[in-house]
Parts: sequence; C-alpha cells; structure tokens
Amino acid sequence: MTTTADTRTTPYLDLFARRGERSGEAESVRTRRREAIERFEAAGFPGRGNEEWRQTNIAPLLRAAVTEASSRAIEGQQAKRFLYPGCDRLVFVNGRFAPECSSAPEEVNAASLADLPAAGRVADVVAEHLGATVDGRASCSADAGVHPFAALNTALFDDGAVVEIPDGAVVERPIQVLWLSSPVEESGSVDRVEFSFPRLLVVAGENSQASIIETFASTGTGTAGYFVCPAGEFICRPGAVLHHTRLQADGKDAFHLGFQHAHLERSALFDSSSLAFGGGLVRNDAVALLDGEGSHCTLDGLYVVAGSQFVDNHMRVEHRQPHTTSHQLYKGVLDDRARSVFNGRIYVHKAAQKTDAKQTNRNLLLSKAALANSNPQLEIFADDVRCTHGSTIGRLDEDALFYLRARGLPRNEAYGMLVYAFARELVEKASFEPLRLRASLNGGPGGGGSR
Amino acid sequence: MLRVSDLHARVEEQEILRGVNLEVKAGEVHAVMGPNGSGKSTLAQVLAGREDYEVTAGSLELDGEDLQEMAPEERAHAGLFLAFQYPVEIPGVGNSYFLKAAVNATRKARGEQELDAMDFLQLLRERAKLVDVDEALLRRPVNEGFSGGEKKRNEILQMAVLEPRLAVLDETDSGLDIDALKTVAAGVNALRNEDRAFVVITHYQRLLNYIVPDHVHVLLDGRIVRSGGSGLAHELEAKGYAGFNGGPAAA
Ligand SMILES: Nc1ncnc2c1ncn2[C@@H]1O[C@H](COP(=O)(O)OP(=O)(O)OP(=O)(O)O)[C@@H](O)[C@H]1O
Ligand SMILES: [Mg+2]
Repeated sequence: MTTTADTRTTPYLDLFARRGERSGEAESVRTRRREAIERFEAAGFPGRGNEEWRQTNIAPLLRAAVTEASSRAIEGQQAKRFLYPGCDRLVFVNGRFAPECSSAPEEVNAASLADLPAAGRVADVVAEHLGATVDGRASCSADAGVHPFAALNTALFDDGAVVEIPDGAVVERPIQVLWLSSPVEESGSVDRVEFSFPRLLVVAGENSQASIIETFASTGTGTAGYFVCPAGEFICRPGAVLHHTRLQADGKDAFHLGFQHAHLERSALFDSSSLAFGGGLVRNDAVALLDGEGSHCTLDGLYVVAGSQFVDNHMRVEHRQPHTTSHQLYKGVLDDRARSVFNGRIYVHKAAQKTDAKQTNRNLLLSKAALANSNPQLEIFADDVRCTHGSTIGRLDEDALFYLRARGLPRNEAYGMLVYAFARELVEKASFEPLRLRASLNGGPGGGGSR
Repeated sequence: MLRVSDLHARVEEQEILRGVNLEVKAGEVHAVMGPNGSGKSTLAQVLAGREDYEVTAGSLELDGEDLQEMAPEERAHAGLFLAFQYPVEIPGVGNSYFLKAAVNATRKARGEQELDAMDFLQLLRERAKLVDVDEALLRRPVNEGFSGGEKKRNEILQMAVLEPRLAVLDETDSGLDIDALKTVAAGVNALRNEDRAFVVITHYQRLLNYIVPDHVHVLLDGRIVRSGGSGLAHELEAKGYAGFNGGPAAA
C-alpha cells in the first residue's frame, strides 16, 4: 500500500532514523524494531475506516505537535507518593530507568532494557521474547492486523524493564513498576506534547509465582499534556501463576494509548486487573492468548471517568487450546460528559474444545451526558464450548438513593456509597492500598456528584 | 408534633392525596387504615420527602417546621423516620456499615459527637437484641436476599438505632408471622414515650392488638374519611370499608 506521506507520522519516523542502531542490542530485537517501523509506516495512523479504531477518536493526538520526552531527574519525594509499601520497585521517569528511586527485587532477574548485561539469562530472555509476542505470535487470528501504537513502541522504546522469574520461584513481595511522566510545565503551550514509550517484558518461568503492579502517573500538576504509549508483554510458561495490576492515574490531559499482551502456556494462570482513573484520551488494548491446554486468564477492569475523559478498553481473548478458561469483568463509572468503549472480543479456535469463557461489562452512568458503548464480539469455531457474555448500562438506583437519604445520609454521601458499592469488588480485588483507591473514587472523578 | 393540613399530592398527573388532614401530638400512636391503593404509602413517602410525588396544595409541618422546605436527609435529622413498605436492597453496602453512617450523619447534622466503632457496635448489638435481629444479618449487604420478615425487622432495627421522634411504619406488619409481629410490636412499644410519636399504617387490626393506638384514621381515595379511637379498628375488621365509600371526611 502506498499513500501520500502522512506528515503526522514524521516525528516518529524521524526519531527512528535519527537514533540509528543501538549498540549492544540483540540482532533479533533490531530486526523486530525495523519490522515494526516498517509496519507502522505502511499502516499509518488508523483512520475512521479502521473498524478496530472506529470509536476511538485520536484526532486530538494527531493534531498536537509531538516531541520525544527528555530525560528528567526527579526528586525521590515525587515518586514516593505513588509507591506502595512492601513492594520491590522499578521506577521509570519519561520511560527511562531511575535507579536511585528503585530497589531491585532479589529473587528475580530484572534489568533496565537500556542497560542490559551483555550476556546471561536476562539478555537471552530479551533476545528471545522482546517484541516477539506483540508483533509476531499475537497476530494469530487472521484479521487482527497491525496495532500501530504497539508497533511504534517496539520501534521506538528507549528503555523499559525486563523481569524474569526463574522456574519454580515463588516471589512473595509484589514488584511495582512505576511509570512516571514528568511533562514540562509550560503555560500557554498545551499543544506541545511529549511522548514516551515505556516497555515491559515479564517472563514467568515454569511453576513460578509472582505479582506485578504497574502504575502510570504524572509528576505534573498543571495542564501540560503528554503522550504515554506503553507496551507490556507477559509470557507465562507452563504452570506459572502471574498476578498483574495496572493502575492508570495519568494527568487529566494525558494521552494514554497502551497495549498489553499475555501469552499463556500449559496450565498457566494470568490474573490481571486494570484500574483506570486518569488521562483525557485513554485506550488500553489487552490481549490474552491461551496457548496451552488448561490455561486460565482473568482480565478485570474498572474505569472511573468524568469531565470530558474518554476511555476505551479493547479486549481480545483467544482460546487456542482445549480446556482453557477466561473471565472478564469490566465495570465503568461515568460522570459528566465522559465516554467509554468496551470492546470485548473472544475468539475460540477450532481446536479449543471445552473452552469456558465469560465476559461481563457493566456501566454506571451518573449524568445524562455520559455515554458508554459496550460491544461484545464472540467468534467461536469449536463446537463444545461454553461462552457467556453480558453487558449493562444503567443509572444509579433512585430508590436506593432515597432510602439512604431517608436514613439521614446526605445526598453526596449516599451517592458516593452507591458508586463505591458498584465498584467495590474490583477495588477490593486490588487489595493493596484500598484506601487510596477508595479516596480516588469518592473524592475524585465520579464520586460525590451533585446531581 | 406533626401537622398535615389539606394535603394534595400527585404522581404522574394522577391526584392521589386529595386533602389529608392529620395532627399527631408527642406521645401518641396513630393508626392509618385503608384499602389497597387508597394513598397510605403515598402519604408516608410524601412525609419522608420522596421527590416523585408532587405536593400541589396544603402543608406539612414537623414541630412547626415546614417539611416541604427540607431534603429527605434533613427530615431524618429532624427526627422523622419511615419504615418502608418495600425496603430497598442495596448490594455492596454492608448493613452495619450503612447503619453507622446513618447514625453518624444524623449526629453530625445535629452537632453531636459521632460514635466511634466500639460505641456504635455496642449500641447496634443491644438494639439488634431488642428487635431480635440475627447478628449475621448485620454483616450482609443491606436487605439483599433478606426474607420478607427479615427486611421488616431490619427496618425496625434501623428505627431502634436511629431513635426518631416521629416514626411512620408503612405496613411493617405485612408478611410477618405472629412471633415476628410480636417482636416488632415489642420493639415499637419499647421506644414509646411521651416525646415520641408513631404513625402506624396497616391493613389489619391484628397489629393493633399489640401496638394499641390512641387514634385510628380511615384513608379512602386520598382522604381521611373517618377518625376515631382504637375501637374503630375493630369495627373495620368486622365490617370492612364498604360503609365508608366516598363518604365525606366528617364522620
Ligand atoms: N410512583 C407511582 N407512579 C404511578 N402511580 C403510583 C405511584 N405510586 C403510587 N401510585 C398510585 O397511587 C395510588 C395510591 O398508591 P399507594 O401506594 O399510596 O396506596 P396504598 O394505600 O399504600 O396501597 P397498599 O395498601 O396496596 O400499599 C395507587 O393507585 C397507585 O397505583
Ligand atoms: Mg402502601
């Protein structure tokens, strides 16, 4: 496909050309980067005709003048407020490793992608896996197509984290990966947007067990916009148990277009929870590939948005082998003019007999102007399967609200209580720091509304 | 304490209350009886401040204050309590958590010290015992999956914990077996005192054997068509409402 040059891709293509080959990078990774930029260049940014992006309006991002986020040192204090106690941590600022804020976990092999040892376990893992699932094995259903932002990340990530959990290791302490954006606070130049491409590779060895917490946040307080475009790959080897929490609390004007891919081998378990509160234009594509018999994934999520926030969760769960199970529960709370998309695709391959797939999306609209879209898509090519899906879009129960008020609870408090009750099971699942999350529910977007 | 004068109310263009007059003094128990659809629950909901019902004429006063100027929660803070005919299930909100929030919201609004967890728990246990509510119900979400009787008893528990000045009980007796009915009545009687008043809405004389009212009113077609002493309830039980059809308010 040849088209006239799309100038909006120029800053990204230029950056790729300017960087050249990175010394010390494995040949396989170089190749994947090259292929990725070619795919991105060929496909360009998705337009309205692209079914996968039909409901996601990325025009504001494409209009912005973009530039690579510069390296920035931050004070420990700025990271501290986002760190959870009792975790080992890897902290990144504008996509680059900040060793002074980090404490490397002991039982695992972890490293900064920009500073890999020349040889050894971590180097091997990166050479084998980095970019292999996102851009290679992932496109196993014929029409999955190119994910332009995942391709961009592979081509352009400057740094990131690799975490390898050795076979049989049971890692007690959660590993928190904090992705901080530190935008330049300039007044009057909201259209200048800095981008970064955080990259995460987690390889959970056979029969290992670990818990990863990703947090996306901003040191900024003002209106400075930024564009964070993360990609995460989670490889679960046979029998691995990997828990994953993804808390997205970006600044309210941020663009957040993320991609995560889980690859599950025999009897592996991947349990992922996404909590999305921040950002102005947010999209998160989550793919799980159940590629080993008896593997199970849980993909849960909660989004709480207000103002003019837009959040899009695009799910794709592929059952490739027999006896695989998947559970998805996504709940949304929308206030003001906020909008959401939930696109849940379940694809059951012919070989995947005895698949058990369940998908639920529930939305709570707190205002008349809020809008939730829910699109389940089941594609089933096996005949002995159980697949259920359901979606609801509702408003706050006025009877319940009146009941609580008649017992003396002020309207705002009653309101917050009902909203919290709706979201509760997902908040409590992310069992660390529930209070912080509760605060962001009650005091933040969606909470304490006055309607 | 409560003065309802010439109250007219409608819902969705339909006039339901058509000139209700009711005066309740501190220390009194009033029973309101009437056939299905006569407007009993409408009266109760209007008192509690439900916005679906539009008051088109008349007035509502609690201790001289205009109830219509007050939000539902403000009415509760002023001491009004409504035991719902159909208590609402609230999934995800724990029963005792809800009750504590309600008690403390009321105390806060009155400028009183809020109860801490220990003091509240003690109060709750004591009142749960009084109205025979199983402690297991306190840990469950509000009314969710409760049996009909459990819901009604939960209403009475809330009343016992909140200690209102005026309690309106909307068919709290329906769906209760005789033992549960006695428990509910005992709960009400334990709270009876000279500062407190009750409006008991019921279809049956049965409850009034245990909660003996000072006054009985017959509500028919949105009007109180007759008022009398506790003997009136027996008369209704024997003769039904037939004799009151469309009759004037003066009896
Ligand atoms: N929200 C509403 N919308 C429409 N009609 C209503 C509504 N609430 C009450 N009504 C109507 O108003 C009339 C009075 O209802 P209300 O519930 O007050 O009666 P009630 O005396 O409590 O009856 P019951 O003994 O069956 O509880 C009925 O005809 C009912 O259908
Ligand atoms: Mg009724």
